[in-house]
Amino acid sequence: MQCTKVSAAADQLLDPAAAQWASVPAEELTMAATPLANQPSEYIKASRDEKAIGKCRSLKVQSVHNGTEVFFRLSWGDESENDKEVTDTNMFPDGCGVLMPIASGDTPIEEMGSKDVPVNAWFWRANYKPDEARNTTARGLGSTVFSKKSPIRARGAWQQGTWSVVFARALSVPDLAEEAVQLALGKAVKVGFAVWDGGSGERAGVKSFSKEWRELTLEA
Amino acid sequence: MAEMTDEEKKAQRAKDLANESKSAKAQLKQCDRQVAMVFDLNKCLGCQTCVIACKTQWTRDEGMEYMWWATVNTQPGRGTPRDWQQMGGGFRGEEPRAGQLPSKRDFGEAWDFNYEEVFYGGKGNAAHLKPSGDPDWGPNWDEDQGGGKYPNSFYFYLQRICNHCTNPACLEACPRNAIYKRKEDGIVLISQEKCKGYRFCMEACPYKKIYFNHVTQTSQKCIFCYPRIEKGVANACARQCPGRLRFVGYLDDENGPIFKLVKKWKVALPLHPDRGTQPNVYYVPPISPPRIDEQGNLDLTKPRIPTEYLKFLFGDDVEPALEILKTEMAKTKAGGKSEILDTLIVYEWKTLFGPFTTDPSTIAPRKA
Repeated sequence: MQCTKVSAAADQLLDPAAAQWASVPAEELTMAATPLANQPSEYIKASRDEKAIGKCRSLKVQSVHNGTEVFFRLSWGDESENDKEVTDTNMFPDGCGVLMPIASGDTPIEEMGSKDVPVNAWFWRANYKPDEARNTTARGLGSTVFSKKSPIRARGAWQQGTWSVVFARALSVPDLAEEAVQLALGKAVKVGFAVWDGGSGERAGVKSFSKEWRELTLEA
Repeated sequence: MAEMTDEEKKAQRAKDLANESKSAKAQLKQCDRQVAMVFDLNKCLGCQTCVIACKTQWTRDEGMEYMWWATVNTQPGRGTPRDWQQMGGGFRGEEPRAGQLPSKRDFGEAWDFNYEEVFYGGKGNAAHLKPSGDPDWGPNWDEDQGGGKYPNSFYFYLQRICNHCTNPACLEACPRNAIYKRKEDGIVLISQEKCKGYRFCMEACPYKKIYFNHVTQTSQKCIFCYPRIEKGVANACARQCPGRLRFVGYLDDENGPIFKLVKKWKVALPLHPDRGTQPNVYYVPPISPPRIDEQGNLDLTKPRIPTEYLKFLFGDDVEPALEILKTEMAKTKAGGKSEILDTLIVYEWKTLFGPFTTDPSTIAPRKA
């Protein structure tokens, strides 16, 4: 997967409908249900059918950087927009995430990192405030921790059955050395993606994911 | 030795992860002692003082409007949340059983009243105090409807809080291990730091006693008044109950009323023991008045409250428990003494609360 260099400003690229995105090559990823056998809850295993998990089956990913910030644009089909506000007990927001290991070393994408190889997840949820995205670190299933401050911005738009969400973050975030992946031009990094369909009650590990790590190279 | 195939490796890994999760859960469930409550259903007036005591103490913040950690509902009835007994959850044997998520409407939304208009708007003589909108459910909607047909109609009140189960379905369900039993007293808490509001606990709880706070985006529930318990003060619901029917204490305190009622005399039973969570709230079942036959005479051979209904609520042990109570009542009627009935009568209110008799007014308030 290529992260190409562009010269646009961050505020422009953060808009999922920005014209700049039209010329950025997109990669279509097959998405699948997270394996039920790995869910860190016997209740989830007993109460769900893996076949019914992972409403999103295909995700379009584009990635660019402008020398200082990196951007991911994720888009996928979703018939319903859930929900800008989560006010009822049975409402769940749509969402998506980008996952990257923080340290080098092997860690299976479906296990959300390990003690030795923590992972950094960038989270966006439809009910977040405008431009809000959260930075989380995980060291295994069910272990994600939000960072106190998030260096990530994201903007999402749902239009005619399609969600488009753009994440933006500075390449390097020295303040969060332990909690976030550090990116550099010319360097490759492993990356994975997840999508939650709130209307189907997807949340936590119940989601669709991109099955395996992709190698993302940031054009020098 | 033959190499494992990819499929076998995957299966092995899943097994390892399940074992890791299992041992983490076992740790979270461990406790040295267990606090418990006994509610005597024969004494409840349905006055809702316990409910208000809890509400004013714990659930006044924004996002908690619809929460009632302590409820009292008329039985038979649909309960709170509406039809919770048909919402699944708990365990079937060892296996967790799927449950439903109640909606806020099922709990009963917090209603807004026209206080302004009636009390301050000069319409005190014209306008009635009423909720705005047209609510069709509330936390105590079917009060005093009960069951049976006149002249054999009947009802009783069922007080409910979180059961602080020994085998909590909520704890088992949480994928973040945010729910745990306190080691010192077995109180089940949801770590507000760890909780991300995924609400699998709400689904899994067969008693539907967990609420979702849409402001904090976390799940919340009865905390057994642990800040009071830590200071030797009984729970707000128990302390404020004018009926002296809420016993509080340690389950293993052999000299306390809880141990005696539950373990020794076996007259206090958990609600829906078939759900497999081993609740630590117990009920002294209601003693029926006799039936009235077609001629209008008392029929002492049949209880007014169908035994089948009580079995549905408290399991098969309800029959022997009621027998014991009846025997004890006959004993006192004949002039004898009954330690069981004396315990249930509660001549001295302090006997309700085991070691938790400290006067709350003697405790310095926490600094804000």
